[in-house]
Amino acid sequence: MNEKEKTHFGFKEVDKDAKAGMVADVFHSVASRYDLMNDLMSAGIHRIWKRFTVELSGVRKGNAVLDIAGGTGDLAARFAEIVGPAGSVVLADINDSMLQVGRDKLLDHGLLDNLEFVQADAQYLPFADDSFDCITIAFGLRNVTDKDRALRSMLRVLKPGGRLLVLEFSKPLNPLLSKAYDAYSFKVLPVMGRLVANDSDSYQYLAESIRVHPDQETLKDMMEDAGFSRCEYHNMTGGVVALHKGVKA
Amino acid sequence: MAAALDPALQTALLAALESTLNRALALAPGSGEKLAALGDCVFALHCQAPPLDVFLLPGGDRLRLMGVYDGPVTTSVSGVASDFAELLTSTDPAAKLINGRLELRGDSAPLIELQKILAALEVDWEAPLVDTLGDVAGHQLAQVLRAAWGWGRQASGSLGRQLEEFIHEEARLSPPRLELEDFYRDVQQLGLRVERLESRARRLRKRLQQLHA
Repeated sequence: MNEKEKTHFGFKEVDKDAKAGMVADVFHSVASRYDLMNDLMSAGIHRIWKRFTVELSGVRKGNAVLDIAGGTGDLAARFAEIVGPAGSVVLADINDSMLQVGRDKLLDHGLLDNLEFVQADAQYLPFADDSFDCITIAFGLRNVTDKDRALRSMLRVLKPGGRLLVLEFSKPLNPLLSKAYDAYSFKVLPVMGRLVANDSDSYQYLAESIRVHPDQETLKDMMEDAGFSRCEYHNMTGGVVALHKGVKA
Repeated sequence: MAAALDPALQTALLAALESTLNRALALAPGSGEKLAALGDCVFALHCQAPPLDVFLLPGGDRLRLMGVYDGPVTTSVSGVASDFAELLTSTDPAAKLINGRLELRGDSAPLIELQKILAALEVDWEAPLVDTLGDVAGHQLAQVLRAAWGWGRQASGSLGRQLEEFIHEEARLSPPRLELEDFYRDVQQLGLRVERLESRARRLRKRLQQLHA
């Protein structure tokens, strides 16, 4: 009998085929309060992390940008302003609830001309080879079932010389900060999730998924294994978050 | 990129500064057009102490501040924080750039233009106050703020002039600027003449060697 392949869903081991559906349920549940929860959970610092991501992306007027797991469109909105009418931005998310919230928000901000919205799985990106100057995935990679497959898929659709930026929770560098962060993640976050989004389980999953996500060096190795060159990372807020960058040679 | 600061902290500082500057620019009539004229320029400020890189990108009537930029730069300036503070508040930025301790690369004219825009920010307090507080209270408060702003500028200018006069004329701790500039010009002339003399001597020596050969 064939044993089904397993993967992580937070601290649980689940069938590989089931993870996408379970992650989808989490994001269906939090989509409407996603921005508010992000602001509350990070005290607004997620805006600074995203701002640094935009700076490091080196995106210019006329570029083609793909924002995977773009959620409510924070990065896509900024990129749409930078690339201007001559460029294009694709906001992609596997979850239709998140995509709908993101699309409504960007349309409300008058951003439309150079933006496209695509429901897509990061592992099987539905774009031609060598399509984008820059790809970003912010707080999304840890939810992907097969991260190596997703990284290879991103490499395929990047143009030669194009950059991939992975913004993701990581491992704090200081042991004291690490303990405080653990206490915050497992004690405060689920309570906050219950009070604001009426869903403590999803925020319990968030804390667990961060712990099982690869650390800075491991993710850098994974990017190199997928075929990216000049891989580097920048720790932010003491390593709570790391921004990885790789270039398609 | 400056390594001393956590990128998140540096980005937060720049975001706060950008927001403050843009708020002041929005309230300063005429600054938007001047800034738009610098639309294609990128200015790099490399501060060595404390280590911090700032890139200024004028675009439309706004100014973007970034900690990382890997494209071509119009003007790049390196120095320590106090040198940059002197440049920002200088009444003669061109002289400060040429004679100061800042190291300049690229085109200095757009940078001087930007310095003038930032140094001459005349904030129009009245419009936002009237919007918030109404015509009467807004106008009164704006008058008070305008007077305080003007007095502050006048007082700091006057203090600067008096201090300069005391240092040059009363205490004679340093020669006046014009005298110093004359001296620098003379030194430069002397340097040029010495170089010419040296090359003439070299030429004569060569001719002598050819005659003897």
